[in-house]
Amino acid sequence: MLKPTKMTRVVIAGTKDLMEPVISTFHNLNILHITDFLQENETFKIGKPLKPASKMSEYLLSLRTISNQLAIGKGSESSLKSRDLRSVMDEKISTLQKEVSSRFDEMRNLEFKIKEKEDIVSSIKPFFGLPLSLESYSGYGSVKVYTGFIDTDLELQLSKITNNYELFTGEHEKRKIFALFVPIAFADEVHKVLQNERSYSELKVPLLEGNPPVVLDGLTKEISALNQKYAQIRAELDNIKKEYSEFIIAADEYLSIETQKAEAPLKFAESPNAFIIDGWVPSLKYDEMEKELQKNTGGLIHLEKIEEDIKEEDIPIELENPSTAKPFELLINTFATPKYREIDPSSIIFITFPLFYAIMLGDVGYGIIVAALAYVIKKKFKAGELNSLALILFLSAILSIILGFIYGEFFGFPIFNVVVKGELEHGFLGAGPVIAGINLPVHRFGEVQMLLLLTLIIGIIHILLGLVIGFRNHLIEHGLKHAIFAKGSWMMILIGGVMVIAKLMPAVMSKLPVPTSDPVFAIGGGLAILGLILLIAGEGFISILEIPTLLSNVLSYSRILAIGLSSAGIALAVNTLSMNLFIRPGGVYMGKGVVLALIGVVILFIGHLINLLLGILGPGLHSLRLQYVEFFTKFYEGGGKKYVPFGYKRKYTEE
Amino acid sequence: MVVDAGMIAIGAGIAVGLAGIGAGMGEQAIGAAAVGAMAEDEKFFGKGLLMTVIPESIAIFGLVVALILLFVFNA
Repeated sequence: MLKPTKMTRVVIAGTKDLMEPVISTFHNLNILHITDFLQENETFKIGKPLKPASKMSEYLLSLRTISNQLAIGKGSESSLKSRDLRSVMDEKISTLQKEVSSRFDEMRNLEFKIKEKEDIVSSIKPFFGLPLSLESYSGYGSVKVYTGFIDTDLELQLSKITNNYELFTGEHEKRKIFALFVPIAFADEVHKVLQNERSYSELKVPLLEGNPPVVLDGLTKEISALNQKYAQIRAELDNIKKEYSEFIIAADEYLSIETQKAEAPLKFAESPNAFIIDGWVPSLKYDEMEKELQKNTGGLIHLEKIEEDIKEEDIPIELENPSTAKPFELLINTFATPKYREIDPSSIIFITFPLFYAIMLGDVGYGIIVAALAYVIKKKFKAGELNSLALILFLSAILSIILGFIYGEFFGFPIFNVVVKGELEHGFLGAGPVIAGINLPVHRFGEVQMLLLLTLIIGIIHILLGLVIGFRNHLIEHGLKHAIFAKGSWMMILIGGVMVIAKLMPAVMSKLPVPTSDPVFAIGGGLAILGLILLIAGEGFISILEIPTLLSNVLSYSRILAIGLSSAGIALAVNTLSMNLFIRPGGVYMGKGVVLALIGVVILFIGHLINLLLGILGPGLHSLRLQYVEFFTKFYEGGGKKYVPFGYKRKYTEE
Repeated sequence: MVVDAGMIAIGAGIAVGLAGIGAGMGEQAIGAAAVGAMAEDEKFFGKGLLMTVIPESIAIFGLVVALILLFVFNA
């Protein structure tokens, strides 16, 4: 919690004949983060892949091609033995290649042919409108043929050129179609006439023989025969897919693992007879690793912990948090991976993110729906980012239900009796209870001032927490003096500033003189000035420009109230509109027909749906923004390297 | 302080409206850039979304001013 996992640097050396068992051991353990060996020297070179690497990659390549051609997706988990896979690999892959690729090629070929025939069909259809067979459009020595669509009467214009022509006209899909035969001598002039005609569009005659309907009939038969053949091959491929998909998925995993293992030496340093691996393991797992490694190599391998000369930026980062706070690492990783000695704020966000979200959303009805939605997503996606996101949303929604109870809101309707502008509104649970001295409900529109103050106090505490963490980070990295200059000064300015404003504001509002004699005001002012001096001493005069940022940071927390008010406001507006106008017995349009009453229900439904969508997006984004922009900027630097252990989590195969 | 309630309401409206326009002007450039970055690499979605909402503060400051006008000065 709060700190990344402690890592130990380890160097492993051994003779080359031990390389394979060592790689296998590490691959199974899945805990060693290998540092790439980069600086070659006379003795040590970058390692070469193990022998089977190229063979394995070849297999993998053909397997993935087949898998693509068969459109194989993710399978259910299975447990084929690696040993069994290895023995049948060669035979099965070559059979598959033979069976699949020829069929696949044929299928592509058929698709192409079908497309070709269909194109001809669509080009023949217009000629149904003309009384000629297809061969009569071509093959002339002294006659030029024009075919196409045209809207105007051609004869008039043609008669100006020559009377020696033959014109056929007809109709296709309500457009006029024509075929014009003219002697070649007039072809140029006729061509010009056609070009100038805007409605003219040329039609190419397919090079076929026979009457169009007869030709079409023949083509349709050919196409259906091709389609039949296509379907048959498709079915054959589906059968192959059914039969082999388990093997293909498992073999893919097996080969990926083997390739990974075979290529591992590329990260090692290698001399003619020995190899060295440099890497990081979580300190707690060091002993386990050592035991396993010595067992598998007969105690012949040499391990050494390296503790000196460690550069912080080389240490890989594995975040370590209790399982409940684990999903919140997603929000950290989206921003940046922390450095090794930095605080990992996942567990803090675990509290503040849902809290801010809940104060913003704060409605029992919306909370229940969001929680249900998150639950469904969580069930559907068992792992990965969506699962984490669903968990975050679920926690936030549960808290929203509690806050909704305090606000007394259920889809914007009052749960408890509440007085708004001197009028009593009845809630459906009657008078609100008193819990811990607070009269429920705390009505959001009625208590704006109090809530505004509360959000600002939350902001001050949150920013102060950020500064405290920043102080700690600076203390460890640069020492006390630097920490006081960089973060302590800001804390003083913030606390002092708050004390001054707390006393100054009421005085100014009620036009009293500035309360200089008030000890809180005086101490606060002194503290702020001291902070300012420290800040200038540490960071230079220019840092004064940053002070308004602090103010805007604090004010920024008022969004917690503002977003909440807008969400509650929309809900209220929707309810007032639909209830008072349409649904309530005394409503304006009540009793004027069922349709009008239904309009009310539709308004209610759509209004709340939109508000709900805004209610997931708005509070989520703004709560996150408060973490990233207001909180993180006070301490977080990031830029760590992620811990990526050498290994693989088997899903479809067993050792 | 005696001020016409209507004037306060107009003031609150102007505060929210102008702040909203300002925030929108800020967001348009960032939003366009964010969409561009996302077209290159979808991983920018999270960061892009975040960058895009940063100018939203301005709108919220407007809203705060409006709330203070309505609820503090109007009381």
